[in-house]
Amino acid sequence: MARKAQKKPRGTDGALLPSLPWTLAALAVALAPHVPYVPVWVTGAFIACAAWRLLIERHRGTLPSVLVRAALALGCFLGVLATYDTISGVGPGSALLAVMASLKLLETRKRRDQFVLLFIAIFLVMSALLREQYLWSLLYLVGALVLIMAAWLRMAASPSARMRDSLATSVRLVSYAAPLALAMWFLFPRIATPFWAVPIDTSAGVTGLSDTMSPGDISELSQSDAVAFRVTFEDTVPAPGDRYWRALVLHRFSGRTWTGREPSIGGRPEQQIEFAGDPVSYQVTLEPTGQQWVPALDLPASWDLPRTFMNTTQGLSRVVPVDQRVAYKVVSYPVYRAESGLRDYFRGWYRELPAGTNPRTLALAAEMREAADSDRAYIAAVLALFREQEYYYTLQPPALGRHPVDEFLFESRRGFCEHYASAFTVMMRVAGIPARVVLGYQGGELNPLGNYLIVRQSDAHAWSEVWLPDEGWTRVDPTAAVAPERIELGFTDSLFDGLGAGWGGRVPSRLWHRFRLSWDALNANWNEWVLGYGPEKQNALMEWFGMESPGWRKLVFTLIAFVIALTLGVSALMMWRNRPPRLDGASRLYRRYVRATGLAPAVGETPDAFARRVTAESSLDDTSVARITRSYLAARYGGDDSALAELADAVSALGRR
Amino acid sequence: MQQRTAQPVPRTDAADRTAIERARAALSRIVLGKDAQIELALACLLARGHLLIEDLPGLGKTILAQALARVLGLGFRRIQFTSDLLPADIVGVSVFRAGSGEFEFQRGPVFTELVLADEVNRATPKAQSALLEAMEEHQVSVDGATHALPEPFFVVATQNPADQIGTFPLPESQLDRFLMRLEIGYPDAVHEREIIIGEDRRDMLASAAAELSPALLVTMQRSARTVHLSDALVDYIQALVRFTRESPDIDTGLSPRGAQALAAAARAIAYLRGHSGVFPDDVQAVFAAVAGHRLQPSSGTTHRSAADLCRHVIDSVAIP
Repeated sequence: MARKAQKKPRGTDGALLPSLPWTLAALAVALAPHVPYVPVWVTGAFIACAAWRLLIERHRGTLPSVLVRAALALGCFLGVLATYDTISGVGPGSALLAVMASLKLLETRKRRDQFVLLFIAIFLVMSALLREQYLWSLLYLVGALVLIMAAWLRMAASPSARMRDSLATSVRLVSYAAPLALAMWFLFPRIATPFWAVPIDTSAGVTGLSDTMSPGDISELSQSDAVAFRVTFEDTVPAPGDRYWRALVLHRFSGRTWTGREPSIGGRPEQQIEFAGDPVSYQVTLEPTGQQWVPALDLPASWDLPRTFMNTTQGLSRVVPVDQRVAYKVVSYPVYRAESGLRDYFRGWYRELPAGTNPRTLALAAEMREAADSDRAYIAAVLALFREQEYYYTLQPPALGRHPVDEFLFESRRGFCEHYASAFTVMMRVAGIPARVVLGYQGGELNPLGNYLIVRQSDAHAWSEVWLPDEGWTRVDPTAAVAPERIELGFTDSLFDGLGAGWGGRVPSRLWHRFRLSWDALNANWNEWVLGYGPEKQNALMEWFGMESPGWRKLVFTLIAFVIALTLGVSALMMWRNRPPRLDGASRLYRRYVRATGLAPAVGETPDAFARRVTAESSLDDTSVARITRSYLAARYGGDDSALAELADAVSALGRR
Repeated sequence: MQQRTAQPVPRTDAADRTAIERARAALSRIVLGKDAQIELALACLLARGHLLIEDLPGLGKTILAQALARVLGLGFRRIQFTSDLLPADIVGVSVFRAGSGEFEFQRGPVFTELVLADEVNRATPKAQSALLEAMEEHQVSVDGATHALPEPFFVVATQNPADQIGTFPLPESQLDRFLMRLEIGYPDAVHEREIIIGEDRRDMLASAAAELSPALLVTMQRSARTVHLSDALVDYIQALVRFTRESPDIDTGLSPRGAQALAAAARAIAYLRGHSGVFPDDVQAVFAAVAGHRLQPSSGTTHRSAADLCRHVIDSVAIP
């Protein structure tokens, strides 16, 4: 092979054929987690290069020339640059790594190149963790590592060796490394602010509430099973009907879309709230939203999330968007009086309506307000309208045109929570009552395994708040008037009770749902204990192990000590396993003689052959060498016990000389 | 495997010893400069094995076989293998006797103590297998009747490795029937000179005296089987065998039967040498002859010839 290579440096001889498919498989497995994120052409490039390389090897062909390879590399580089406009960051970085690994295939001629490829594969798998750190990511990582190691072993294995054996060896190697990895994970000092910041783009493709609301937005969201956040209550769990998780307040209406950025004037908002009744304490683990709002139970009194404040619409906002999973503790009071002294300026703000939109609604509202004695009576009348007339709650509301509120109220009469909240708020404003739309989540499902509340995107909800003198902002949920079961049972449970079927919801399978709950409980634990294993948890664990005031110094020393102990332990075990067999008397004596000769017997050199060498090369006298050799052979191989005495005699004579 | 005896050394008595030495001396007078091959051939015979000699014509294959028969006092028959050789030409045939009105078995040339199967690869597989069966069973079955072969029974087969046209090389499974495979090789200059100027080998053969007898040979074979085999030496044999199975240079290593053959041959040569047990030297002396034709070198190996490969194995395995 070497001779051939010199003559024809790019030729292949099929020597890699047995191991190449496994290398390709390992590379494909390493690439797979990136496929949804990298541009399609990167995946295409890998498949093309892999197929090309395999064909070359099969037909003993020639690898592409330097010129072709350089052109391809430049093309791919420019392709990545064109796709991302940059080459730094996780996205372009992994795309570049993937595409260059594919191109590396085209210059893989020798085993050494294959090693490089597999090393890149390990790097690729690890870089997938920069994107996703789910429980299955770890399982996948371990599986991929086993396959990569097996492909590695494959290169050295003889063609007749079975893949099963390589896989078994690989599993063994990976499990040998496991204690070290675990020790590193537990003991490596966790610090609150990392030395380096990896730009993790978890925000890409996040589903969730946006800061505007048009008809159809939330009903679309209700199709998503993705978890929005999870909640653990400290003592009692509020009833489903009381679980209103406020996120955003919208007050500006365009006739179709609700938007709103809260006005940032006035005193500190929390000072304008009077709380009453029993507090509810809980911890929220919020999945990344890419937005600034922080959900809390109506209404929060205190919270421990850093850089988070209460805005003027009594919602929690974080200064920076929530790009990673965060956990925070909140205390909320279900009974409160907020902003009972609303400024005149704001009253106007919350009564604004765009001119020339939804004329029929305006007329109806004006007429109904005339008929009612008070604002309260008017509110009751509007809710009664929704409840008693033919209005339907549906997950598939019809599309609406230019005057959506008119079309909904007078024509389609079918809508999701956002239609009701929007129509209700408009009708309040016509009557001069300050009103706004609140976006958030309502309900949530209790997971009996783990005893926590799962709030999904499908629990997204919109409701209204009206301002009444002396009472301040008061929550009114028009959906409760139309579909009380949605509020009383929560979204998921209503589906199971068959009530949701009336809205066009699909009833999920119970078994599947139970499985999903178990999986979610597992993930919740994973998030809390593995991904959430930070400085505090590490300190708590170390203290539990009896380490006093653990600091990074102590942790590093412990880690080093552990690694040394592990290495020594493993070496001791291996030495014990490979310990030389206990020497019998003849062998011990013979070894003394070998030492005396000053020569070392070669592997496979018989005592007779050694004796000839000793006679020629050492100063020992020939007769005693012959005598020792003869008696040693007789004692060790001839089964002649009497020869042992002669051997002992001859060897000690050697010492005396 | 033969039972290892716990007792040390059923030593050959002095008479046997001298008879063997005389036989060796007589053999090396006829076959000049080939002491190692003579020793291996004798060991093969003592281990009750059959011998395959593979070499070019004119190197003394036939002389060696004839000399063995002569000196050891064995009956000798030569079967020249040709492509039209029939099994009956080897084992014999039943002939109808008009006088007695019965079938009578006419014994073939195989019914003798030492059979020389010359150019065994020239005959068809059918004829070859007739011989190989006789070698394995030490008996011949013709027309439902079984005829025992004499004891001792010893086949020396020769093969010309260079000659490949119109031959049927023995397959690996049948090579395994031969305990040893030897190459004779060219004699050195001194011995070759002696061959050129010296007495005709055939005349020497004719005048050579028998130093042993079949009966004596059978007792010796029995004694050779009881030579002490120490635990350490069994370890060595096992290490050698394991190495042939695990080495990347070798595709097919030694089978358990190969290991057994190695032990038997080593015992026989230890007996010949008068050792009190099997020594590592004895194993190394027979290793190439016993293992050479049983190992299948891998395609990537740098040890092309069987001798090279065996040397590599010996040099790689530590002696316990």
